[in-house]
Amino acid sequence: MKTWPLWIAGVIAVAAVFHILTVLAFPYGVMNRAIAGIAVQAGGVNKVVYPDLPTAEARGIVRPSPDLLYAACVYDVSDRPVKLSSPVPDTYWSLSTFAANTDNFFVVNDREVRSKRIEIILAANEDAVSEPGVPLIVAPSERGIVLFRSLVPSNEAVAEIDTLRKQANCEPL
Amino acid sequence: MKLALKLAAAFTVALVLGAGSAILLIRSGGLGGDVAVGPWETDLTIGSVQADPYTRARVAVAGLLALNRNETIYFTAGRDDEGDRLRISCSYKVIGSDPPARWWSITLYGEDHYLVPNPQNRYSVGGETVQRNEDGSFVISVGPEESNMNWIPTGDGQNGDTFTLTLRLYNPGEKAARDPGGISLPQIAKEACAS
Repeated sequence: MKTWPLWIAGVIAVAAVFHILTVLAFPYGVMNRAIAGIAVQAGGVNKVVYPDLPTAEARGIVRPSPDLLYAACVYDVSDRPVKLSSPVPDTYWSLSTFAANTDNFFVVNDREVRSKRIEIILAANEDAVSEPGVPLIVAPSERGIVLFRSLVPSNEAVAEIDTLRKQANCEPL
Repeated sequence: MKLALKLAAAFTVALVLGAGSAILLIRSGGLGGDVAVGPWETDLTIGSVQADPYTRARVAVAGLLALNRNETIYFTAGRDDEGDRLRISCSYKVIGSDPPARWWSITLYGEDHYLVPNPQNRYSVGGETVQRNEDGSFVISVGPEESNMNWIPTGDGQNGDTFTLTLRLYNPGEKAARDPGGISLPQIAKEACAS
């Protein structure tokens, strides 16, 4: 009996499994690399890095916006919740959080905050220790990335916005 | 022994075929999607928890840390109005008026998805910086030579011979959020190419 049809069918079936596993694992691999890069720049997890306005030399994260000043940290809620805080400037501003699979699971912008300052607590579950009056967001993965974006409307505004974004903070509770 | 060798060979072929086809598909996917306005394309599940595994993988390569559609819609163009690839040796006019969003910008990226080096350090034109005509419309020049105030240089080819433009709509207006395929976006007209 010829066995080669069985071999071909077997190779195709196993190849399909590898294909699916690669597609599923790919975002985690890219995100892990980004997490590692930010953690190194910031000096660890739950610490913020404040990069310069993106230029052609920026090679950390793909497709950066050259019109935004970023602040970023790697959150790690495996031990305890993490408190995110930042002043909110008078320009487009947002705080966004990304899970280990790249999903943007939470975002809030300056218009939604309706205040000059924001505080958010990221936690592994709803029962985590929190602070009264501070919203608690459940992170779908123990580690991920927090990104603060601030629009720089003109060169003259850079210094003022830079001062504010450098007050953005991620710290364990 | 012979069977073990056959199994090892079949396993290796399956691994190369499966993982290789996946990586090829992911890397060639870009940020396009099922919504198109002229040469601009987007996938509305970018950044969202509704994204399918292929979209997540594509975004990881070409748009990591993208916001979800409620906050920002990302349109990307890799071709002009005639369907030709955008090339650094050609000059283009991006002609339009302010898209329906609180803030917008058009940014040029090389084939590697990073900003393209140029002596002027100019990478984008946005709603805060664009020079408008009296009627509110604008013309953005994209090409190797400066031709007006709204100029985005295509660089010297360090990032490849082709490029893409990304149009970001931050806090999109109600119509854009409801029906992004039905809004008006800038045209991309090719003017000339260096021989």
